[in-house]
Amino acid sequence: MREMDPSSGEPSAISRRSFLKGATQVAAAGGIIGGAPASEQGTAVEPEVETLSGSSSMELLVNGKSRSVEVQPRTTLLHALRNQMKPPLTGTKEVCGTGSCGACTVLIDGQPAYSCLTLAVTCAGRPVTTVEGFGSADAMSDVQQSFCDKDGMMCGFCTPGFVVATHAALDRAPKATLDELKYELSGNFCRCGTYPHVFDAAQAVQKDRARGEDGR
Amino acid sequence: MSRPTSGPVASDPSWGNRSDLDVLNRDIPRVDGPVKATGEAVYTHDVRLPDMLWARVLVHPVPRAEIESIDVEAASEMPGVVHIEALKEPGDAVRYLGDDAVLAVVAAETPDQAADALGAIVVKARRLAPVVTPEQALKEGAPVVSRRRKADSNVGRANERGDEAVADAALAGAVAVVERTFVVPIQHHVCLETHGHVVQPAPDNEQVTVYASTQSVGGTPRGLARTLGRDASKIRVLTPHMGGGFGSKFGPGLEGALAARVANVTGRPVHLMLTRADEFAIAGNRSGSRQKLKVGADSDGRLVGLKLEADKLGGVSGGSLPGPPYIYTVTDGAAVFSKIRSVHTATDGSRAMRAPGHPQASFAMEAAVDELGYLLGMDLVDIRIRNLESAVHHRQLRRVAEEIGWADHPNRDRPGAAVNGRAVGIGFGVSVWGPGGRSSRCDVTVRPDGSVVSATATQDLGTGARTYVAAIVAEELGLTVDMVEARIGDSDLPPSVTSGGSVTTGSSAPAIKDAAHKAREGLEALLTDVLEAPVGSYVWKDGRVSVRGDASRSLPWIAVCALLREPLLAQGEFRDFLHEGRIHGAQAAKVEVDTLTGRVKVLKMVTCQDQGLPLNRLALRSQINGGMVQALSYGLLEQRVFDEQDGFLLSDNLDLYKIAGSQEIPEMVALIDDEDERPSVCGMAEAPVIPGHSAIAGAIHNACGARLTRMPFTADNVLETLYGKI
Repeated sequence: MREMDPSSGEPSAISRRSFLKGATQVAAAGGIIGGAPASEQGTAVEPEVETLSGSSSMELLVNGKSRSVEVQPRTTLLHALRNQMKPPLTGTKEVCGTGSCGACTVLIDGQPAYSCLTLAVTCAGRPVTTVEGFGSADAMSDVQQSFCDKDGMMCGFCTPGFVVATHAALDRAPKATLDELKYELSGNFCRCGTYPHVFDAAQAVQKDRARGEDGR
Repeated sequence: MSRPTSGPVASDPSWGNRSDLDVLNRDIPRVDGPVKATGEAVYTHDVRLPDMLWARVLVHPVPRAEIESIDVEAASEMPGVVHIEALKEPGDAVRYLGDDAVLAVVAAETPDQAADALGAIVVKARRLAPVVTPEQALKEGAPVVSRRRKADSNVGRANERGDEAVADAALAGAVAVVERTFVVPIQHHVCLETHGHVVQPAPDNEQVTVYASTQSVGGTPRGLARTLGRDASKIRVLTPHMGGGFGSKFGPGLEGALAARVANVTGRPVHLMLTRADEFAIAGNRSGSRQKLKVGADSDGRLVGLKLEADKLGGVSGGSLPGPPYIYTVTDGAAVFSKIRSVHTATDGSRAMRAPGHPQASFAMEAAVDELGYLLGMDLVDIRIRNLESAVHHRQLRRVAEEIGWADHPNRDRPGAAVNGRAVGIGFGVSVWGPGGRSSRCDVTVRPDGSVVSATATQDLGTGARTYVAAIVAEELGLTVDMVEARIGDSDLPPSVTSGGSVTTGSSAPAIKDAAHKAREGLEALLTDVLEAPVGSYVWKDGRVSVRGDASRSLPWIAVCALLREPLLAQGEFRDFLHEGRIHGAQAAKVEVDTLTGRVKVLKMVTCQDQGLPLNRLALRSQINGGMVQALSYGLLEQRVFDEQDGFLLSDNLDLYKIAGSQEIPEMVALIDDEDERPSVCGMAEAPVIPGHSAIAGAIHNACGARLTRMPFTADNVLETLYGKI
């Protein structure tokens, strides 16, 4: 069904270079939610870059720590986090794999992005924050605590993506109205239908943070 | 060593007076919230074991074919491939797009290597006519795709009820008659965690461990026993967390059997989760239907006759549709006639999905009631109350009508018309469910150090089950929820039920209560010498026990537990009188229709729902909201779409199969029906998903006069209904 690359024993229907370049642009256009325009993001791989095949090692800066990870040019950031890192970071979930649902949302350079549409190699030198980077069960972030208080979760499979997206939304638009919050969170799906309580959780954080500012 | 409590118990357990409750019937944040909100919760999808293989299945892309060859040789030589196996021989048929279309399984050292190997399998097959629509299935000379024995067509046996002549006569005498054909598409469960398992093999004398995304930790060992070649007791199934089931995850399925087989053959742990595309193709759905419904009413708005001819569209399965009249009453039961049959296509069989068959029936029946109301000039709430037997429905309908602003709405007995292209309407629907309860067990252990464990082999699908496993015990022993450890999701724990049909709460909560009560009486037996009062005369509250009526004779919890020389084990079982069998709900929806573009925007939804004693009001409102959201999504967005010519499933991803996102979500009001004072508990998750899309369809009609008879309520559907063309 696929052409074989005799040198590597791996399928190679198109050249790595054209694949890498094309995929990066796709990732830039579809993977960054409301981030910089695609034209600014598509420059991560210059045409002169050395063509690689197989796996190579790279450093990812995840939750403030440098993590060494073996990746292929096609490896997504999501798969690098979940499958390649030792130990793996499985808080970030894979649900659709096509940039539709937001379960894989992480921050890259502080901006929310779909890690399923972002190639790991494009993240070299860029800080990545996953849901684990915001807090732990013993020391939750205000957003995580609010999701618990307001029951902004049922099965919980979408929750990591929603937590990251909510952090990003409240950083970008701290005074967002309910309609604006719905827009900010529109890149994430929940199947259990927990949305009303997610909105409650986000609004409670807004109130708490505003109170904190008033108190200063 | 722990010892079971023995001797006669002093009293039966009871849920107590609502006014005395300190933990239950309040908002209880779920106990697994922190691990879910931080990504620490480990789902089957997330299990990583040393030396684990990654498995994938190859699904044939179209429903029907004759296999000429499946060549796995090149694939087997791909890097990292450890096991590869074709599941069909030359000459075998692919009979439908479902588990029968799984052609091969591959296991490799990494997920990418498994995917690469899958792509290197060379399949030669002759495609056959697809048979993916009921029209194709019913066409003269259509290939028989039904799996029924000796089937000579794609039509199942019709289930006929009632006397058609009696129904016809009643309808002929009716003052108002409505006749419509309703078309309901096939819906997918879209569990965010796909179906799958991680199987860790073990020597014969040890337990195989299976992580499963399942609604039945208790049933899964039996489902895998034959494949694993060992007794179910030698298989331990763990479901610490699971990412949604909605009725689609009752058994291990082919994917579970294949994971088990590959683990057996290779002797290594195997991770096999379906991809999203696989999930859409082979992991079940809610059956569609075509319902030709005719209903008549007398001048008082009483339903007097009904005829239903329906096709259930469940692919190779039968599909589901309850018989008419759905929830409503026809004055003379003899004047109800129905003929319901299954029409089979070569597509994945339907599975249970949250209230199987009920949302489909609701869509047709609520529409008929609306239209009869309009024909007779009756208020839409009044005609419902006239034809609903239960006074619970009456009060719930009045309550949701009040909350949605019905009294001030101009179109109460006739549809409205658009002003400047915009029209606002309100619609209603009702639900019932009878979950009941069945055998279930729970162990509560109190240790001398004051720690408490409540353990039962249930699973938390997102319902909050884990939370009440702790909270019920906390209430009985006067503790806070965090002082009780809930252990669930493990088939080695005391058995409980498969979570389907809202049976979990009605089954497991009584067993938990019973165990907690026995633990309490076991502790009270120790106290008779210390506080000098008999068993049954103590109050457990705020982390202390005191003698009823004499607060001075009191001990803190930790001092009570210190009296134990060994852990106290209390074994609880299902107690019939602690559960309720039947629940009711009513919903209202308010929508705005743009009659120029056909766009429907839901403005508000309201549900009023009863369930006996609410265990956790916060989780209950989540479930009610979830029912409304899923019904909204079903009504506005969802349908499975096949390419009818070649048989490709077009809607096999979340771009083309739409589900509701945050921008579709209106104001939602989840009202817990506190006028239901039954002193017992009941599951309720099925009910709120039943009538929401019907209420939305009613609201669209109420807004602008467009009675949509097929779902989903897309812009083109609205425009075509309004103007006869787009």
